[in-house]
Amino acid sequence: MTIHETIKEVQEQFKDVLKNARDPLMLEEVKNTFLGRKGKIAGFFSMIGEVPPDTRKEVGKMLNELKRSLNEQLELRYAEFQSEKKQKERVDYTLPGYVVHKGSRHPLTQAVDDMLSIFKRLGFDIAYGPEVETDWFNFESLNFPPNHPARDMQDTFYTEGGGLLRTHTSPVQTRYMAIHEPPVRIVAPGRVYRNEAISARSYCLFHQIEGLYIDTDISFADLKGTIELFCRMYYGKDVKIKFRTSYFPFTEPSAEIDVSCFLCKGKGCRVCKNTGWLEIMGCGMVDPNVLKVINYDTEKYTGYAFGLGVERMVMMRLGINDIRILFENDVEFLRQF
Amino acid sequence: MIVSIDWLKEYIDIDMPLEDLAEKLTVAGLECVVKEIGKSIPKGVVIGHVLEKKRHPSAEKLSVCTIDIGTGNPATIVCGAPNVEAGQRVPVATVGTQLTPDFTISKTKLRGVESNGMICAEDELNLGDDHTGIIVLSDDHEIGKSYNDYFSSSLVLDIDVTANRPDAMCHWGVAREISAITEKPFKKASIKLIEDGPEVDSIAKVQIDALDGCPRYTARVIQGIRIAPSPAWLKNRIESIGLRSINNVVDASNYVLMETGHPLHTFDFDKLKGHKIKVRFAQEGEKFETLDHKERELSSDMLLICDTKAPLALAGIMGGIESEVDDNTVNILIESAYFTPAVIRKGSKLEQISTDASKRFERGTDPNETLVYAQNRLAALIVELAGGSIAKGMIDIYPEPLETKIISLRYDYVKRVTGVDISPENCKSIFSHLEFTMISEDEDSLTVEVPTFRPDIEREIDLVEEVLRVNNIDKIPSMKKLTMSVAEECDKFHPFLTDIRNFFAGHGMHEAVNNSLVSKNIGDAGIWGYTPLNVLNPLSKEMDVLRTDMIQPLLITLRNNALKKRTNIRLFELANVIEKNDHVDTHAVEHFNLGVLCCSPLWGLNWTEEDKPADLFYMKGVLDHFLGNLNFNYKLKENTNRDEFEILYDIVIRKSIVGKIGKYVDGYFEKLQLQYPVVVMELQIGKLFNWYNPKQQYIPTPQFPSIFRDISLVMDKKSKAVTILNEINQHGGKYLVDLVLYDVYIDDTKLDKNKKALSFRLEFRSKTKTLKDEDVDNVMNKLFERLMNQYGAQLR
Ligand SMILES: [Zn+2]
Repeated sequence: MTIHETIKEVQEQFKDVLKNARDPLMLEEVKNTFLGRKGKIAGFFSMIGEVPPDTRKEVGKMLNELKRSLNEQLELRYAEFQSEKKQKERVDYTLPGYVVHKGSRHPLTQAVDDMLSIFKRLGFDIAYGPEVETDWFNFESLNFPPNHPARDMQDTFYTEGGGLLRTHTSPVQTRYMAIHEPPVRIVAPGRVYRNEAISARSYCLFHQIEGLYIDTDISFADLKGTIELFCRMYYGKDVKIKFRTSYFPFTEPSAEIDVSCFLCKGKGCRVCKNTGWLEIMGCGMVDPNVLKVINYDTEKYTGYAFGLGVERMVMMRLGINDIRILFENDVEFLRQF
Repeated sequence: MIVSIDWLKEYIDIDMPLEDLAEKLTVAGLECVVKEIGKSIPKGVVIGHVLEKKRHPSAEKLSVCTIDIGTGNPATIVCGAPNVEAGQRVPVATVGTQLTPDFTISKTKLRGVESNGMICAEDELNLGDDHTGIIVLSDDHEIGKSYNDYFSSSLVLDIDVTANRPDAMCHWGVAREISAITEKPFKKASIKLIEDGPEVDSIAKVQIDALDGCPRYTARVIQGIRIAPSPAWLKNRIESIGLRSINNVVDASNYVLMETGHPLHTFDFDKLKGHKIKVRFAQEGEKFETLDHKERELSSDMLLICDTKAPLALAGIMGGIESEVDDNTVNILIESAYFTPAVIRKGSKLEQISTDASKRFERGTDPNETLVYAQNRLAALIVELAGGSIAKGMIDIYPEPLETKIISLRYDYVKRVTGVDISPENCKSIFSHLEFTMISEDEDSLTVEVPTFRPDIEREIDLVEEVLRVNNIDKIPSMKKLTMSVAEECDKFHPFLTDIRNFFAGHGMHEAVNNSLVSKNIGDAGIWGYTPLNVLNPLSKEMDVLRTDMIQPLLITLRNNALKKRTNIRLFELANVIEKNDHVDTHAVEHFNLGVLCCSPLWGLNWTEEDKPADLFYMKGVLDHFLGNLNFNYKLKENTNRDEFEILYDIVIRKSIVGKIGKYVDGYFEKLQLQYPVVVMELQIGKLFNWYNPKQQYIPTPQFPSIFRDISLVMDKKSKAVTILNEINQHGGKYLVDLVLYDVYIDDTKLDKNKKALSFRLEFRSKTKTLKDEDVDNVMNKLFERLMNQYGAQLR
């Protein structure tokens, strides 16, 4: 048998054995048999002295080539075993993730935040006032004389000791002005109370945001510009706004503001009662009587005020037709937001 | 308020579509819609003739009527009204008639007697509020005809008049508005008054003993009138605005009221004792029966119209039974007066009566021209309708005429307030159409006398509003470049609250918004022990105080959710709680607090961890994270005052109690069958905000490695983890930077049954060097020795 034939035979043997190796351990045996220190290839190398000197170089080369080839095949087989093993032990990543509870913000406080962030952009600071108010701040300072029919507009809860639950956030106006000189530019969020029977349409408390801007040369046109900007930022730039004359004791002239229904885009639907418009806030130029009360110079300063009801806006946006839902705090409701 | 379009046209030309008119009036301040009224009575309501009335065999208050309804087949109807009689013409709702969306007439048995329909009262047909008896119609109503045919339909404006505009509560007022908007003339009817009776002073007297309540009182007397049904034109007018025609005198009085806005009252002159009117305030406790058949006990704030003997009417509010005009009246006295608005309002509030008259008087009527016009108009109208002769002269007591107001309007002021230029011509035209009298004018201003029917106009700014609203407030161009005075202060509180809200929402909790009004026991149960502030006029007993803490309302919310079988209840809320305090003017101190409540699994059913409740340790973890974020060091001090808690801690910062955290006794909410313990926390956020100091300067990050030491100590079961943690923290030496309690081991088979093992990991690090073992060995030894001596700790 020539050396060539011998090498060929070894190669065939190797292939068979390799094919039959079913695990890495058997592969280790194969490696020892053929490529170990006392393996077959090593045996060939030790016999190299027996071949004619002129072919030794060639035979050596062939043996090296054989060794490299067997090694390579072995490695490949090893790699196959490795990847099979990985496949088997891999975690089932389709299992659900660990539980992280979802929380939520109440839609009312969320809306207040949204609106305040717009007013902050428009240069308003935020101010606060107490919920238990005096008659003076809630009514008299705002130009509601005692025994005036305007007081009927706001049914009031009275508290022991002569206080009352504020019926609007407007007392923050006079509270703030009493301790600040103009310019005054604030919005005031908060809870207000009305002594009205609880129904789908009214609740004994709701949230308002009050706005106030007093300085020299502030006009109704400024008020309109600001409100329009706010509405566009809150409802989107296509919203239409309508002003109509109204009456509030603490503003003169006074207006109500309607915005085009965002649901039907003014065509008329259930939310807007087919009018295409939604009433969202009251506003006006601060009545000089109010400025006088806190000793502002009415010849020098003018200004505007506005007040919007948060519940109304939230209900319209979310399609809620019963205000009580907002105060029920059913977790199945709350978790939606 | 309803005004009829047809009627309006007597005073003003209307040549635009009504929808446009309504829109224009709305923008100008009279919010209104166009409506058609009159055709509202269902077809099945027909005229019936009561043929026979018999007593119900088994019900005293019911009668069994046989009624001809024009079908040739009389119907048997059981009726409960006291005023039904044989021979009457009455409206009958026949079987199958749908009166309201949820009320359709059907054949029924009433106490054993079959009833085939219903005889209607006013309120059942939406014609008024009266439910004292059925409507009895005159004999000219044709039997079997649809009742609705007797109502002419009319187009009206339904106006929501604001409290400042008494002048607009009548046809004149609305016509005047239209005149100003459209610049068309406003016409009033002229009056032909023939005084052919005796001198009025010779037959009647008026005396005012309460000038502060009644500055002006006028009276006319008409003798020899005949009460009769109103003629068709008047009936139509009255019905066109949804009122019911009664008789010529009453209808005429209502007609003038709705025309001019001035309320009038007619007395049966022969029923006036001494033929004298006296105006005075009531004596405290004085009794009087009003037209609505209510005996009232009056307060001394109530203004009365009296004769020489007794009260006749609550002035400006409601008349009395005694002096009422009835079918036999022949002589009448007409009252046209001005009453002080605040007095009428007070009276109307006290007696809880609101009438067409009181609504106008309390807002302010015209004491001058309109008052006299209305007096003369009614007198002339009554003579036209009911005959009789008017006594010569009008009694007029008006000792101190109310001053008219003269106001100047500067054009530059108009510009300053509105932001636009409005021409002097425009202003003048508006005031002229609104019936202001021009006194003078110059280049920069005009001066007008305010008509006395406009009590709302007192100052220059009020004139600006007139100009603005008539000019269409919606057309004022809005400022495109906003001026902005930059506030020097910048609120930090709201962003602070937003962060807190987002923190708790981020920790899987739902934000609640609860009612601040709670019942007294809820207020009394507050965790802070505040005295609750009472509401004097609560809506119900469930809401008669303000909440004194955040936890109790959250417990109500828990209950409501539990009743709906909700699980995973994790809630928080931020709001004021109120402490009654008599040392402040409102008797209330407000604390802005945070409430948190959990009754929930920590994770819920899942595939990795055994489910655990979100218990006190969860809440403690949240608290630690929350206060850690705000850089507050705090201590928990056990509070043993509340039995309903298994454990309750006061949260203490700077020696002051700023919060509570606790777990309710299991079974405290037994009825709710909760699956998880109820743990709660409340924090005084207002206080924390005042103390809060946003992050100081940064601390350099560690440059040298740490050394860790674990130590497991066996100690008495009763010893508290917090004691050992404090001990280690205090005596861990200058290199100790972190301490974690990582295991609690209790096993009576492996440890003494009075013992437990706690394991701690201590982290040591230096800012200046790499620590070596010997740097910490000494500390560890001393620490262990200390724990061994003081707490009997053994190494495990
Ligand atoms: Zn719509």
